[in-house]
Amino acid sequence: MQVSIKWLKDYIDFKETPEKLADMLTMAGVPVENIIDPGIGLEKVVTGRIEELKPHENSDHLQICTINVGADENIIIVTGAKNVAQGQIVPVAMIGAHLPNGMKISKGKLRGVMSYGMLCSAQELKLDLEALPDDQKTGIYILPPDTLIGMPVKDLLGLNDVILEFELTANRSDCFSVFGLVREIAALTGNKPKWPVITLKENSSDKINDLISIEIADQDLCPRFSCRMLKNIKVGPSPEWMQQRLEGAGIRSINNVVDVTNFVMIELGQPLHAYDYDAIKGHNLIARRSIEGELLHTLDDTSRKAKKDMLVIADTEKAAGLAGIMGGFETEITDKTTTVVLEAAKFYGAGIRRTARSCGLISEASGRFERGTDIENTIRALDRAAQLLTQMDVTCAAVTGVLDVYPEKKKPVTIDFTAEAINKHLGTGLDSRIMVDILRKLEIKTEEKNGIITAFIPSWRGDISCMQDISEEISRIYGFDKIESTLPSGLALQGKQSDKQTFVDKLKNIMVSLGLCETVSFSFTHPSILDKLNVPADHFIRNAIPIMNPLTDEYPLVRTCLLTSVMENLTRNFSRKNNDIKIFEIGSIFLPKALPVTELPSEHLEIAGAISGRRNTFSWSEDNSLADFYDAKGIIEELLQKLSISRCTIEAGEQFAMHPGKTAVFKKGRDTVFTVGELHPSVSSAFGITKPVYIFTADIDILMKYTAKTIKSRPLPKYPSTSRDLAILVDTSVEAGIIEKTITKSAGQYLSSLDLFDVYEGKQIEGSKKSLAFSLTFQANDKTLTDAEIDAAFQNIVEALQKNCNASLRA
Amino acid sequence: MEQQLTQIKEDALTAIKAAGDLNELNEQRVKYLGKKGSLTAILRGMGKVSPEDRPRIGQLVNDVRSELEASLENRQSALKADELSTRLATEKIDVTLPGRRHEIGHLHPLTLTLNKLKGIFRNMGYSIAEGPQIETDYFNFEALNLPKDHPARDMQDSFYITEDILMRTQTSPVQARTMQAHEPNSPIRIIAPGRVFRRDDYDATHSPMFTQVEGLCIDKNISFSDLKGTLTTAMRQLFSDDLDLRFRPSFFPFTEPSAEVDITCVMCHGKGCRVCKGTGWLEILGSGMVHPHVLEMSGYDPHKVSGFAFGLGVERIAMLSYGIEDLRLFFDNDARFLKQF
Repeated sequence: MQVSIKWLKDYIDFKETPEKLADMLTMAGVPVENIIDPGIGLEKVVTGRIEELKPHENSDHLQICTINVGADENIIIVTGAKNVAQGQIVPVAMIGAHLPNGMKISKGKLRGVMSYGMLCSAQELKLDLEALPDDQKTGIYILPPDTLIGMPVKDLLGLNDVILEFELTANRSDCFSVFGLVREIAALTGNKPKWPVITLKENSSDKINDLISIEIADQDLCPRFSCRMLKNIKVGPSPEWMQQRLEGAGIRSINNVVDVTNFVMIELGQPLHAYDYDAIKGHNLIARRSIEGELLHTLDDTSRKAKKDMLVIADTEKAAGLAGIMGGFETEITDKTTTVVLEAAKFYGAGIRRTARSCGLISEASGRFERGTDIENTIRALDRAAQLLTQMDVTCAAVTGVLDVYPEKKKPVTIDFTAEAINKHLGTGLDSRIMVDILRKLEIKTEEKNGIITAFIPSWRGDISCMQDISEEISRIYGFDKIESTLPSGLALQGKQSDKQTFVDKLKNIMVSLGLCETVSFSFTHPSILDKLNVPADHFIRNAIPIMNPLTDEYPLVRTCLLTSVMENLTRNFSRKNNDIKIFEIGSIFLPKALPVTELPSEHLEIAGAISGRRNTFSWSEDNSLADFYDAKGIIEELLQKLSISRCTIEAGEQFAMHPGKTAVFKKGRDTVFTVGELHPSVSSAFGITKPVYIFTADIDILMKYTAKTIKSRPLPKYPSTSRDLAILVDTSVEAGIIEKTITKSAGQYLSSLDLFDVYEGKQIEGSKKSLAFSLTFQANDKTLTDAEIDAAFQNIVEALQKNCNASLRA
Repeated sequence: MEQQLTQIKEDALTAIKAAGDLNELNEQRVKYLGKKGSLTAILRGMGKVSPEDRPRIGQLVNDVRSELEASLENRQSALKADELSTRLATEKIDVTLPGRRHEIGHLHPLTLTLNKLKGIFRNMGYSIAEGPQIETDYFNFEALNLPKDHPARDMQDSFYITEDILMRTQTSPVQARTMQAHEPNSPIRIIAPGRVFRRDDYDATHSPMFTQVEGLCIDKNISFSDLKGTLTTAMRQLFSDDLDLRFRPSFFPFTEPSAEVDITCVMCHGKGCRVCKGTGWLEILGSGMVHPHVLEMSGYDPHKVSGFAFGLGVERIAMLSYGIEDLRLFFDNDARFLKQF
């Protein structure tokens, strides 16, 4: 919605500048988005007559003009314009002018002659070039010869009217009209509106009932349908003033009939439609549901197929137009039209909304119907339009009578409230008289009886239906800024968060302390990413939920796996030469219970991440070697230790996106606590990655399940410990995990720690063997261990290793 | 003997003074005070001294011994000090070489901002509530007083999964879910942080996914002035104590009255700049008194209790806090960006 200050001032006086008015309206919930001043930059441009024109001595293209701008003295302007002549009236930018194109006018010497201003072209005045005749589009803008001189060009060209552009909220349908806005201004300024007198002299003796009939077939979509008729209309341009008003409202002038319908729509908020009476078959209009597939030839000369439940206005033969959205081609007003039927109706907003969207036709009219027009306003709008048409065109005659089908009169809304309830809701202490006065200014009548105030809500305020709505009216006009700031009283509540939220926070902090950066990615994915990730065709991850209306082809699915996001982040970083990457993400994945979806999917929190590139910071003091599998695994081990998840079984495992020989699965019973591995070579090549990448993934619920709820501290040992080193030779195929397990099981109760400090395969030993060296620490809580006790334990270990792992002590 | 003693003393003192390092000094100690040292020899010869002279000579020997020991001690300290300063003078390293760093990671700026918000509201007694990101139309719209075909649904173009299931467009459905899980009319103070989805093009200021924090406070006697006070306190904690807030009447179907809240521009402190488009104000959140329909639909009685709700965009706050100009940076996850926080 946009409207000019002049149009507003037609109906109410106010002294506020446009900026101040815009601010007042905005702060009252009628937001002004923009203030457009078409005359900005034209403050020092006036009309002047070229009294004398002579050539410039030192130039073959410049001329020296003596110009009368209505002042005591004429001024001299040197111009290069070719279309000027003596006696012409032209726009003159005086010294100090700052034109819309940014040009600043100052006095200057042009080839030795002082010039005191500039003659302006239409472009320099920022006029609408398209609306001008061709000869005025270039060169100096020549004004009509009878133009007064010394006049501000702004006033002359009607550019002195500032336009307010509103960004109205969906509830205030009443403000989509000049009347609505004037009511707001009246409430805010306290000034009285000067409403135009709407009266119509029906100056044709023809009776409308004899000429046309209307009916409503589907009352749910069209609760009221009213018509008037005008005869002997001469279709032609509308008067200048109306064109200017419409232009200010952003509407191009078409002809007098269409302009009047638009004018009344902007003025009163009631869209109107005009039909050429002679084109209406059977002289009968019906508001009815469309028949599915029925053809509609609309104003824009397009043939449309109607869908079910669209409302059309039809004559006896066919649908003549889409009700409230676009009229029909056949019944359109043309130059030949002489008899006009004006329609004003109330249409069901949601229906209009659906139809307008499905046809892609959103107009000023459909927007108003969608938000809801005032059902009581149809006759007044018809009268106003007929009044304007008969005033503008003396031959035009209003047919006697009005057709009005209004089967079920809308009940007026009344709301009972007390000042106390309003004050309690707002936290104010306003006197009821202040409340009543604010409502009165908004044309909401009230009655007070025994402390209960009854408000009679006007038909145009469909948004007011309860006490809280009344409180809004009072508070927004009173001023939100005048309401105190307090804090809620009552019982203090404790701010809590769930164990899971706390766990996730903790997890993030641990990952960060382990050197990883947190990422946040879209919850969407694409089947091709699942392909690249090597997800088997029958894997549940493939059952990603499709979005009905995705934004682009890029993301048609909701993610079922966090690794898809990790891989996207990784490749994006690699493509930007960020080669040293350590990232993790904690986020939801969405697993449908069935496809197609019939109920809400289950949402699981997962953690996943990747590392690649250098192990440590790139530095003179590091060997700058690349991270490998054990760096990734170490991160997980450290994390699990920090979470007090102890004694996981770690075994070689499988994961579709990981290298089958380089994947470790951390398990607790049947649950997989964590999976970490090198990115599968075919996944790497699918993503175009040429360097080693290690990825990991886990389910947050499972992690949490095994995380110790509390930390239990152990006392420090009182007795000394003894360390022994153990170096053994085993077959290369024997896993370190088995050896560690054997040692732990056979060591007895005194083994307090076991550290593998060397693994060697190579020249020094037999080809099929490897050497492992452990440091074993023995300690007891109640005594100092004797050598004999430690020897016995050590001997046990060696024997068990020989037996279970075919190990031999390394000499 | 006395002469001999004097001679030993003088020789020893000279030798101690002349000792160039700790080894030499030690040699002198052995030479005079060691088991075979000259002073020790005199002590051993005490038997030959006449009994009447014995105490005097004995005293004398002890004095010389003490004097020599003191001198040795002094010389030793001096030599040690010399040695240390020589060592320190030669042991210089290049301290401007970079240190050996153990790089720690970085929380995402959205997490940092969320943590800050969660902390502020938890301290004000708000619990952290959560709900599903894929929601029913009922919770996302209808329970919030947005029936089908409501024009305000246009404000939020949504990603639909089915006719009745969609990616939630706001975290407000958590409001209704929380109320329905509570004893009717019992007090509630929650914030619901989380991801929300709208069918917006992806550009510097829009994203199909972003993060919202929704707040809800319900109790007896909650008023619009409480909403003002709560948000003022929270925003001042978030940005700065001298922040001003401006409440503008607006429209949300789930609140009545509704207010958009502006804060003094944090970039120019209200003077007007590019970020606030010259107005001095930044729109930061939407809020209002919970609409009676919303209370009723979730089993609360608007005659007995009232409440306020608010919603804010975490990305916007993070952008303002850290001076981030392009929203896409958050979801781009470029390591060079992530490492700045």
